[in-house]
Amino acid sequence: MTQKSLKSPAMPRRAVLAGLAAAGAATAMPHRIRAQETITLRWWSPQSSPEQLAAYETQMRNFEAQHENVRVVFERTSDEGYAPQLAAAFASGEVPNIVTHLPSFAVSNYWRNGLLEPFNDVIEMVGPEKFYEGANKIYEIDAGQYAGTGIGNSAANMFWVRRDLMEQAGIDKIPETWDELRAAAQAMQGGGIFGAPLPYGRNSMTSLVFICFIHGAGGQVFTPDLQVAIDSDETRNALEFYRAMRELCPPGATNYSWGESLTAFVSGATATGLYTGRVLINVQNQNPGIADQITCRLYPTISADVGPWTFNDFPSVFIPKDAQNMEATKQFAAFLFDPEGYIQQLHAAPGHVLPVLQTISADPAYQNNPIIQKYTDEVELMSAAAAGGFNLGWETAEHTPNTKAGEIIGSNVISEMVQRVVLNDEDVDTVLGETAARIEEIMAT
Amino acid sequence: MTATNTDTPLLERRYARLGVLLIAPTVVVFSMVIVYPLLAAIYLSLFSIYTPTLEGDFVGAANYAELLTGGDFWRSLGTTLIWTVGTLTLQIVFGVGMALLLHQNLWFRSLARSLVLFPYFISTVVAVLVWRWLFNDLYGALNHGLMQLGIIDMPLDWLGSMPNAMIGIILVGAWKYFPFVVIAVLARLQTIPDHLYEAARIDGAGPIARFWDVTLPQLRSVLVVIILLRAIWDFKEFDLIFLLTGGGPVTSTQTLALLVYQEAFALNNMGQAAAYSVGMMLVMLAFMLIYIRRTGREG
Repeated sequence: MTQKSLKSPAMPRRAVLAGLAAAGAATAMPHRIRAQETITLRWWSPQSSPEQLAAYETQMRNFEAQHENVRVVFERTSDEGYAPQLAAAFASGEVPNIVTHLPSFAVSNYWRNGLLEPFNDVIEMVGPEKFYEGANKIYEIDAGQYAGTGIGNSAANMFWVRRDLMEQAGIDKIPETWDELRAAAQAMQGGGIFGAPLPYGRNSMTSLVFICFIHGAGGQVFTPDLQVAIDSDETRNALEFYRAMRELCPPGATNYSWGESLTAFVSGATATGLYTGRVLINVQNQNPGIADQITCRLYPTISADVGPWTFNDFPSVFIPKDAQNMEATKQFAAFLFDPEGYIQQLHAAPGHVLPVLQTISADPAYQNNPIIQKYTDEVELMSAAAAGGFNLGWETAEHTPNTKAGEIIGSNVISEMVQRVVLNDEDVDTVLGETAARIEEIMAT
Repeated sequence: MTATNTDTPLLERRYARLGVLLIAPTVVVFSMVIVYPLLAAIYLSLFSIYTPTLEGDFVGAANYAELLTGGDFWRSLGTTLIWTVGTLTLQIVFGVGMALLLHQNLWFRSLARSLVLFPYFISTVVAVLVWRWLFNDLYGALNHGLMQLGIIDMPLDWLGSMPNAMIGIILVGAWKYFPFVVIAVLARLQTIPDHLYEAARIDGAGPIARFWDVTLPQLRSVLVVIILLRAIWDFKEFDLIFLLTGGGPVTSTQTLALLVYQEAFALNNMGQAAAYSVGMMLVMLAFMLIYIRRTGREG
């Protein structure tokens, strides 16, 4: 019965073959057609406060409105978690199309290992003349080739202080040196308020902040030609000061990272703070009672002879080399700097991420923000500090870019050094010697 | 008769082939999910590999030499053993105690049995967030309560200093996983024949004597399995410790699982991480063999 019906010439063999061929083509073609019809771009960022997410939403929808076949989705990562997530993504080939707000030293490491698409096209699309002078230098790891660009600037180690508490403690001058800072913190501590929220945790914040203190003592982690220089008297002085500040920080500072440190100052638990301009909007939203009392300065240094060193992690934007739909990806990367969306993104946390485009800084729409207007001096100070800022990937203008900086931070070797000296009271010379050796090992791999 | 002699081996061969065919899917799946990753880990451990690209150079046994001589592995192994023994002991003590309690005729026994499983059901991330909030120095309920009671004057640093950090993770681990012990022990308690207790009572045994002489021997087989499983799971615990302390202060709570993670993803050295994980597996295997052999002999 079955055989019979199969043999039945209800449909000619040629027609059956043609049908099969058509079906085969149909199963193959939709992928290509669908790919042409709908493209999905994946965007990763560790910056995802509700206000920032709202700004991203605007940018994504605006881009989609201009490109009917494109859909953009946002996926969160975190400051402490992006490294393993990206490592897994690179290793599997399932990379996002665009990644923003990672520190510049992460970008240089990925670039050095051939994982990134050159960013020159995007910079051209944005307009190189719009960027601040030298803004992209840190991304020029190889001459003429840009690994990414900044999506903003940041001044991460600003010194925040409460005027009301200073007044109560009889302090008439905002501290500029470590001695003054310690004396002021001591005077303001009490009644449930601690002097400062310095981090002592085994994490990237402690490492990054302590590097600021090494520079604040006049030292450096590497020489300009990237020889390890952490075992120095300046680092000893920084460790000594950091240890002296421990009793002026909350007990749980031994586990503090960025979030806890920020919250400690914003909530009023500490009299001083160390953070970017995100303090402004967080105080406005979470503790408006102190909004008129806060201000910021450059973080004090060991003495007036040592100039301030601002930690700018150069929040970046880059494109993985294996990203799908490269043309649309580059267009979207450039679109992130479109004034409407970019300004909304910057306004999501005014003073936290500062513009890298001169044209945006001068744009009245950017200036037209209540927080920026209220804290004009602070925002200008942060902008100037960030423009002259550095990080471990580029310690001074004379330094060669350090593509191993991300791994040094990730290894926690510097935060462990702090913990061993401050919490475990280990011998400073021994700890410094071992730390230098470990950093040399990382540099050699 | 002759025909039977020749047919039987043929039938057996057919059954044998059928057997192989039926077991093949299991073997294939087993190979894919266990044998392949194991061999891949051993293979990777012979290379110096940059994690994001999974490319690198053959280094032979260099990663194992580093494992044996470097000190990190042994320090983390010590930490792992302290964590495993500490949390497992508390899980067993709390678990057996709670199971004995829930085996009694209590009011709302069913509700209590359901509620006791709660820590085991909630995700580790949520549990850790709750505990971090409880431990927080500035607004944590634990410090607040202790200060209200006058037990402490200043907030305690629960997770950032030693030995508090180790005690903290052991306690949270015990809280999170003791319900597993409760479930297993409670199930076994319900199958212990009543006449054993009656006989013990007739012999004059009190509650404590009945526990040691009747209950505990009856629980022996299930406790062996519980200890075996929980020891394996606790030995390789990652998320709870990573989220609570990140391995700190310094490396005081950095277990082997955290060491592997740091090597693979912070230092991008997948080869060394693979060597550590192979070492971790061998240690676990050795302990399990000793444990099974000893309990088997005693049984």
